[in-house]
Amino acid sequence: MQAAARASTASLHRVGVACGLAAGAWLGGAEAPVKLVTAGFSPFIISLGMVAGVFVARWTLPMALKGTSYVWQDLKEKPHLAVWAVLAGTLWAVANTLTVFAVRDVGLSVAFPLWNINSLVGLFWGWLLFNELRGSGAGERAKVLGGAAAIVAGACLLAYATEQHSAAAPHRATLGILAALSAGLLWGTMYVPYRKAYLSGMNPLSFVTVFTFGELGTTLALAAVYHRGFAPLAAELAKARPAFFWLFLGGFCWVLGDLFQQYAAKYIGIGRGIPLSNTNQLWGLAWGALVFGELAGLHWTARSLVIAGSLVMIAGAVAIGFAEARGGEQLARRKAVERECRRYGLNLERVEAALEGADPPAAGQPRRHWWEALVVLAAIGVFVYLAANARRQPIEFHAAWMAVLAAASLAVLVACGLLLWKRTRFS
Amino acid sequence: MAPERKGSLPAAVLTDAHFWVPVVVLVLGTALLLVLR
Repeated sequence: MQAAARASTASLHRVGVACGLAAGAWLGGAEAPVKLVTAGFSPFIISLGMVAGVFVARWTLPMALKGTSYVWQDLKEKPHLAVWAVLAGTLWAVANTLTVFAVRDVGLSVAFPLWNINSLVGLFWGWLLFNELRGSGAGERAKVLGGAAAIVAGACLLAYATEQHSAAAPHRATLGILAALSAGLLWGTMYVPYRKAYLSGMNPLSFVTVFTFGELGTTLALAAVYHRGFAPLAAELAKARPAFFWLFLGGFCWVLGDLFQQYAAKYIGIGRGIPLSNTNQLWGLAWGALVFGELAGLHWTARSLVIAGSLVMIAGAVAIGFAEARGGEQLARRKAVERECRRYGLNLERVEAALEGADPPAAGQPRRHWWEALVVLAAIGVFVYLAANARRQPIEFHAAWMAVLAAASLAVLVACGLLLWKRTRFS
Repeated sequence: MAPERKGSLPAAVLTDAHFWVPVVVLVLGTALLLVLR
């Protein structure tokens, strides 16, 4: 009995680690389509275009994979989580806008390492609020803390080596640094609602369906504020229409990565899942260097830093991959689940079953509707329409490397998707 | 069987100390955005 429970926990850990790494691949790959069109548009238009694509994908994928009755039933069982999901979406949008100002004021090479502390912030909240790492052995703690620190350090090295240093006006530097740190704090805190939802047994597909309202609503409101009203914003959007396909495509890739990140947060917690998904920097680097030739002019010292940063990051991911939560930590996790169940009147057995990879809402065989296929077709239609009107900037790229990286990303998607389906049925 | 929730749903959310962590961070972040504007 004990051996079976141990094997089950180990297989869920493997699923969670695979999801974290797959998240890195797709969150990193999402940057590629956007690179084709960024020239000449304001960052708010780029964000809004991507988030609009994200919105379409976030509604279509859960509907295609699970159906609306399933999502609705899951939300009805845990109605308190709707406000948490909207709150998380709002945090994402405000943090994303802060990064725009941070890059403007201090440049990416300074701003990126500062907001990359988000995984450490998430790790702290996971420990403080949800008992993550409590009851774990010294070895596991060292692997998670060391691994997370290594991933942040590796990302900092990559950012430092690959980005141009900006000549920011000194008087803006303080505010820029504050903006970058705040973005890290907001993103790190965004994982509090994630973990809250998953300790309540929610399906990530249900969570993101609501999350996206906070995300799109806030991004739209902020874009309108910074463009001084909806009319000027609409005019800017009309100008950007030829770029929308690429932004939507980037948004779609981003949603795939984000979904894997959500599953990682569910099955291995935010302390382990978020640092693993932050390996997206490696994939972003691979796309930038191999497809867009961004490292071509780098000095050998910068290239050495890129190699060192990548190796440090990989070592961190390997350390976390071997840091499975065992007996003591599982007990501490169960206490956190019991707290949620007591406070919000949830069924402990159903929540525990969901956390062990079962799919309680699916037991009632929720109905699938014929019109769900129409919604999926409509979403595909949006992409086809935008593709027909698409135009990209004349940017050079290496087609063979693009094919290799796209194939590798698809292989990761299929392998991890199958693993997740076999073990959890996308629960 | 699910245990009985104590009080209404909004009350359960609003008296949850966890809830105020992201709310306070969000307010601070939004205030900073206004300064940067």
